[in-house]
Amino acid sequence: MVDFLIKIAVIALYTTIAMLVGILFMGIGRKIVARVHNRVGPPVYQGFIDIAKLLTKKTNISHGWIYDLALLFSLTGIILTILFLPIGGVKLLGTEGDAFLVLYLLAIPALGFALGAGASGNPNAAIGVMRALVMMLSYELPFVITMIALMIYYDTSSIAQIVELQRARWAIMIPPFMLAAAVADMALQGMLMEAPFDIPTAPHEIASGPMAEFGGKHLGSLMLYKAGTIVAYTTLFVDLFLGGGVVMHDGSILSYIVNFAVWFLLILLIFTLSLLINASFPRFRIEQAFKFYWKYEALLAFISLIWVYLMVIS
Amino acid sequence: MLELIFTALLVASFVTLFVKNGRVAAVISLIASLLPVAAIIDWGNEFGLKIFSFGLEKSMDFPIAGITMHFSVTALAWFFGVMIFFLIPPIMLFSYSFFEKNRGFFPFMLFLITAVFGILLASDFLTLFFFWELMAASSFILVYMGRDRKAIISYLSFSVLSAVLILTGIALIYSQNGTLLFSNVAFSADEVTVSAIILMIAGFAVKSALMPLHAWAPFVYSKADEPFVAFLSGGLSKMGYYGMFLMLFALPGAKILQQYFDSTVATYILALIGAISAFIGTLLAFMEDDLRKLLAYSSIAQLGYIAVGFGIGSSLAITGALFQAFNHAFFKSVLFLAAGAVAYRTGKWKISELGGVAYKMPFTFMAALFSIFALAAIPITSGFAAKWLLYEAAVSNKYIFITPIMLIASVGAFLYSFRILYGVFLGENRHDDIKEAPLPMVAGMFLLVMPLIIFLIFPGYMLDMMHSALVNAGIGTVSHTNYVISTGMASYNTIAVVVGMMIAMIPAFLIYVLRKHRNIDFKDNFLAGEPYEIYGHISMHAANNFYKPIEDVLMPYLRRGATSFYMALYNAMGRVSKTVRRIYTGLSQDYAIYVAVFLLIIMGWLIW
Repeated sequence: MVDFLIKIAVIALYTTIAMLVGILFMGIGRKIVARVHNRVGPPVYQGFIDIAKLLTKKTNISHGWIYDLALLFSLTGIILTILFLPIGGVKLLGTEGDAFLVLYLLAIPALGFALGAGASGNPNAAIGVMRALVMMLSYELPFVITMIALMIYYDTSSIAQIVELQRARWAIMIPPFMLAAAVADMALQGMLMEAPFDIPTAPHEIASGPMAEFGGKHLGSLMLYKAGTIVAYTTLFVDLFLGGGVVMHDGSILSYIVNFAVWFLLILLIFTLSLLINASFPRFRIEQAFKFYWKYEALLAFISLIWVYLMVIS
Repeated sequence: MLELIFTALLVASFVTLFVKNGRVAAVISLIASLLPVAAIIDWGNEFGLKIFSFGLEKSMDFPIAGITMHFSVTALAWFFGVMIFFLIPPIMLFSYSFFEKNRGFFPFMLFLITAVFGILLASDFLTLFFFWELMAASSFILVYMGRDRKAIISYLSFSVLSAVLILTGIALIYSQNGTLLFSNVAFSADEVTVSAIILMIAGFAVKSALMPLHAWAPFVYSKADEPFVAFLSGGLSKMGYYGMFLMLFALPGAKILQQYFDSTVATYILALIGAISAFIGTLLAFMEDDLRKLLAYSSIAQLGYIAVGFGIGSSLAITGALFQAFNHAFFKSVLFLAAGAVAYRTGKWKISELGGVAYKMPFTFMAALFSIFALAAIPITSGFAAKWLLYEAAVSNKYIFITPIMLIASVGAFLYSFRILYGVFLGENRHDDIKEAPLPMVAGMFLLVMPLIIFLIFPGYMLDMMHSALVNAGIGTVSHTNYVISTGMASYNTIAVVVGMMIAMIPAFLIYVLRKHRNIDFKDNFLAGEPYEIYGHISMHAANNFYKPIEDVLMPYLRRGATSFYMALYNAMGRVSKTVRRIYTGLSQDYAIYVAVFLLIIMGWLIW
């Protein structure tokens, strides 16, 4: 029982920290993009201000229980996903599921969000969801191929196990996975909805798409969801290719802190990379994005998969 | 006592033929459809589902017209029985409200159930074929009642194709063995047996709508009565996979194929066909505007996964395939029934004409939502465990082509799921004058959703149920407890997911509860309080050509499909027949000339 409570406490601590990191990253992101655009930009803690404001609003408007599902599903789903991802080598529930489970858990918030957007009745929201789903279909193909390459190489589908097996050498140092990581990083660009793949939320075209009608606590929780996705996707990438940021293995208190710090730096690095691409590119059209992922990205991913396959069977 | 069940079903079928009132016929059918369920529960004592027992026999020989029909229940048949017969009472409950008058649905449905019962119990090929044809005939009449020429012709021709393939296979097996009993048939790796196996699998694949033998499904699914289509997609399509399992694993077909080709190429092709079915079916599904056709393509896609599992052939894969078959039986029935309930209230099938139904029919929406979770394999229902097993199997066998195709097809399922959710149930409220579907319909749908939730938390029960079928076939089972499935590569703990979800829900729930909100009609919001009527000419529902951007990219590649091939074949046959018909001019002197020419040829041949 005590073990169970300790586990719950650790889970609560890590998810809280992860969410806070996500909110901080939203502020850092706006700052970085502003600096690239030669603007001053908002302070780095702007994300906290925004979310606090939205969650404490007195007037909240709902359009029925299906609309509220967006709030419940999106936040629940993203926190649940974070529970299944090893953070800095700490496996919260990481041994209870695997990479496929994480892929499908990531669909829970997206679907909840889509339901709420659909129930808001705004046609722009529906178009935004359509674009988001088409983007999902696009970037998932190269991403799952790289993931399968990792699974075949390490002969496991558990993310915790993959992190464990990268002790000696991070996956990105193995030649085929350099290619795979490059592909997965572009898929990450789509997952994070950063330019040139910010098609679903394109503010100038479809009035921010899915969130067009959200406000107050609903929008606040969707911003929390957005913060969560930044952490979840970058952590997924770091876990798969960069050894989860684990550099010390002795299990001391210090190792936890060091691993956490390395994890933080790595996801910040990945996120900054994504932001720099975001700041320098205009937006694709949806069919261009689709072709980009299914033609070039998928081909490169497949080359890395075949490469790995040949390495494994020989 | 077994013959009593057959007799009772046939008598009920005969009685309902003369009952004009749909309600009475539905009640009779409901009671009759509980008989096979009772039989399944009784046999469950041996195969892992202990509820009650009244001592039904497990095998029966029935001599008729000089031959003996052999019946016996195997673990495999029992598992498929659980999958199929538990569907029928809820469907009958649904039909109670769906059919005002008895126009022939009930008698032929009962006849169909009898045939399915016979197929599952058959323990020789002749009995199997006999009941297979009874099934084809009665389902054909049910299709015929849809009165759609394309549906009737395509179903008839593909049923005949299936029958010919299966009968040829049986004949070849008989010529090799001299016996038709499953227990006596001994397969050997020669050309005749191998071609028999391949022919029979192709014959069964017609029923399970595997590409490229799927062309009948979209026409039939979109034109027949909904309760029947629910059973056709949920139940009957599994009969094809029952036959495949029988040929490949219960009889050692897979091993023979492997010996003959000296590799796993034949079963690999089956898996590849399944994966391509899943992929193409998904792409076709999200471009479809007719709700029933969308569900038909989705059926083709979801059934493809089962073929992948059978093709891979490891214990993981087959467990996943059977689990997927079970899930599909339930969630696809619910979706078709929900489509039927929506059409019952609105009279519309086109997604672009529907919209906002969920606000008036919340319970139908909830049932449909849960089955969509299962369809999209989201881990809120048991749909995920099945697909997970299949992915694990494919990755652990290092299938580098099949795994990505399967995964991306499953992502595509989100796309058409949302098309259903948004296009039909959400968005602009276009139907202010409808109300919730009648209670029996809603009850039927919720009964069918229940297994999806039970097996989410306890997938181990499902694995226990198929345990003896797999062991009898010599496949071996996946190690599991009630809620943890472990494979060589990873494990999946359902309790961790459920408990984790409860913990993860706390912040969202607190935000939801602590900040009060008020409900406002969405029209007030984005029209800024202006009267809705002045915007009456603007459609607020973005459901027409929903996936247009991606359609533009993909359509050029999909235009040359199997369906267009069959249509070309159909048209060519028509032209040939027209040419042939010119011989029959209707003038007696022409016929006299034909006879004379024929006689001359005969004479010439004799003299020569």
